[in-house]
Amino acid sequence: MLDSVLALGGLVLLRDSVEWEGRGLLKALIKKSAHRGEQIHVLGCEVSEEEFREGFDSGINNRLVYHDLFQDPLNWLKTGAALPGGPLEALNALCRGPDRGPLTIALDSLSWLALHLPCTALCQTLHALCHQNSCPGDSSQVKVVRVLGLLHEELHGPGLLGALGSLAQTQVTLGGTVVQASAHILFQKPRQRPTHQTYWFSILSDFSLDLQERPHLESLPCPDSHTSSVDPMSHLTFNLRLSKKEKEARDSLILPFQFSSEKQQALLHTGPGQATSHIFYEPDVYDDLDQEDPDDDLDI
Amino acid sequence: MAAAATCGSGVGSSGSVAAAAGKSNITSFQRKGAKAGGTESGGPRLVSIAGTRPSLRNGQLLVSTGLPALDQLLGGGLAVGTVLLIEEDKYNVYSPLLFKYFLAEGIINGHTLLVASAKEDPADILQELPAPLLDDNYKKEFDEVYNHQTAESKIKMKIAWRYQLLPKMEASLHIISKISKPVSSSRFGHYYDASKRIPQELLEGSKWHGFFLPQKVSSTLKVEPCSLNHGYTKLLHFIQNIIYEEGFDGSNPQKKQKNILRIGIQSLGSPLWGDDICCTENCDSSHSLTKFLYVLRGLLRTSLSACIITMPTHLIQNKAIIARVTKLSDTVVGLESFIGSERETNPLYKDYHGLIHIRQIPRLNNLICDESDVKDLVFKLKRKLFTIEWVQDNYLRQERNIYPPGFSYLLKQKDSAWGEGSLQHSTFLMSFLAKATAFASRLVRHSEPLKQTGSGRIRQAAGPRLWQDGRRQEAPGLLGIPP
Repeated sequence: MLDSVLALGGLVLLRDSVEWEGRGLLKALIKKSAHRGEQIHVLGCEVSEEEFREGFDSGINNRLVYHDLFQDPLNWLKTGAALPGGPLEALNALCRGPDRGPLTIALDSLSWLALHLPCTALCQTLHALCHQNSCPGDSSQVKVVRVLGLLHEELHGPGLLGALGSLAQTQVTLGGTVVQASAHILFQKPRQRPTHQTYWFSILSDFSLDLQERPHLESLPCPDSHTSSVDPMSHLTFNLRLSKKEKEARDSLILPFQFSSEKQQALLHTGPGQATSHIFYEPDVYDDLDQEDPDDDLDI
Repeated sequence: MAAAATCGSGVGSSGSVAAAAGKSNITSFQRKGAKAGGTESGGPRLVSIAGTRPSLRNGQLLVSTGLPALDQLLGGGLAVGTVLLIEEDKYNVYSPLLFKYFLAEGIINGHTLLVASAKEDPADILQELPAPLLDDNYKKEFDEVYNHQTAESKIKMKIAWRYQLLPKMEASLHIISKISKPVSSSRFGHYYDASKRIPQELLEGSKWHGFFLPQKVSSTLKVEPCSLNHGYTKLLHFIQNIIYEEGFDGSNPQKKQKNILRIGIQSLGSPLWGDDICCTENCDSSHSLTKFLYVLRGLLRTSLSACIITMPTHLIQNKAIIARVTKLSDTVVGLESFIGSERETNPLYKDYHGLIHIRQIPRLNNLICDESDVKDLVFKLKRKLFTIEWVQDNYLRQERNIYPPGFSYLLKQKDSAWGEGSLQHSTFLMSFLAKATAFASRLVRHSEPLKQTGSGRIRQAAGPRLWQDGRRQEAPGLLGIPP
């Protein structure tokens, strides 16, 4: 599962909530990419460095470069350990940094950055990070392969979630039942239809993943399935299914506006001699059957 | 702010202002401007620009959008000087395709392109344009795609025999026959193969300008609210410069051959342009986008250009902004894909990929607009072609509570004409009869007025609308215009 999440690259959003925490999954992803030999930079804003490094073995801890925004985000202590220029500048500097080779950036949390930075600047920086070819510079620069961002869904409105979702190539939404955690992964390759998968997993203490069931590939779920599969063919007042005999009878029927030769003959040969229609009339009580013209009485 | 204040020489006024009728020694009127071309004199020449045609309805100059089906729905094409706004679908899968069709049409016709994007480099966008459909290799495939009639549907209709006279939705075929020599096609509207890329030689022969926002705007400046976003200002200046320098607004009268500028702006209003209307509901710079559209429209109206803009309106939180944006654009087309919605499992839509809504058509020099009555349009992206068709969905219609006043929603289910005994036919007839009584009773006047006021002409009568070569003929109204 982690391989599929890391495969696409670009911006990976981990959307978690209060019930289903995402930091464990983030650390599992960091461990996986460390095993692949990538450099990892972590921008830590919500937890302290010791807490973040806890649980990683020393090999990973050596590959991990931690930029601390938790201790002194606004640089009040003026110790010089804080990031100069703010987090955005730090992210941009990573792009131009002296390291070579593939780079994974983990944002501990993207929610913190979204709450403290203007969202347009954040979106533009994330886009620039993920699409390195737009950065002017020499080709031997560091290549940012992916940006892992932890996003707490409850903190943001639908606008920001939608905006960040449209930038992301992979979105992992955590959820699950009481006993089991699940991850619903949405892959958005550019200009292709999005696909999704659901995995049930649990994270072990050394941040490796344990998958419970086989994932099943399906198309995107409909929120509520078309409830009434109403059969439009029921309760009709006319007959839709004709038997063979009825079909033949219908086909042989001559329609009233169709002018066939028999009808032409019948119309042509209807002379005054043939009384083809009769009118039967019974006089009403009030009818005056006097044939005289009532205007004759007028003396004009 | 940045509105072009260029001269008033409008579209197509290259000829003489005062036509000198006689010989020059009799009158003192002179022809204004040199006569271009070697044709003999005889009054002002009609300027015809490649890839345009006058509208059949009011003579407005039209360009093709790249999709002949969409051209037909918009009343012949996109008018020069107007904006076509495409509302993106949710995962942005299909709207880039319409964007690319527009640009590819410009390359085929030899128009100049201006591509602006904050997401991708314009050179990359141009590399991915679809290739135009070539001749006979594809003609049979094309026929199979478009003339998919089963044997059953070829039965002549007995009861609903008038519907056989209806022309089909698809326009006639315009295929470029040779691609080796420079394509100087005088036809309007071409078909493209979405699975192939445009040949390099066509791209190299074309003229284009690109605007890629991260390259142009290096720093994030703080602008005060109620003024234009920095990125938008730069883009407007860029467009204005191109229009002025290349003479699209008539400012260079020595230019012999007029051409159209096709502007394409991708994902306007997204956060990558520096606009936060997608992120929050009450944003500071909520007027940036509307101001931009207003100024852009002013630039377009005074030049020979047409613009396509795609906008992620599903992300815009404030619905009032969407309404304002719709009013500020001329033609608005919305795409709604079925991915992830409950319609994906609906068997009626199983062959289609989404709905296409024509939300607005402009009234240019007109009192009425050429809006089609058919509201249930779906699109489908086949491997090579993007097609737009009608679908009959009673549930959809009930959802939107649209019952057109006439019986002009002539609906054909895909792959079958109106065979009798089919479900569509029967339900259509029953609903036809039900509505006939309702409609007829509406028209009956129980007491004649003494004096007929107004023209008394009902615009739509109880008859099917007949489409002939893309132009509607209306059945005569039930009440004539009083003498």
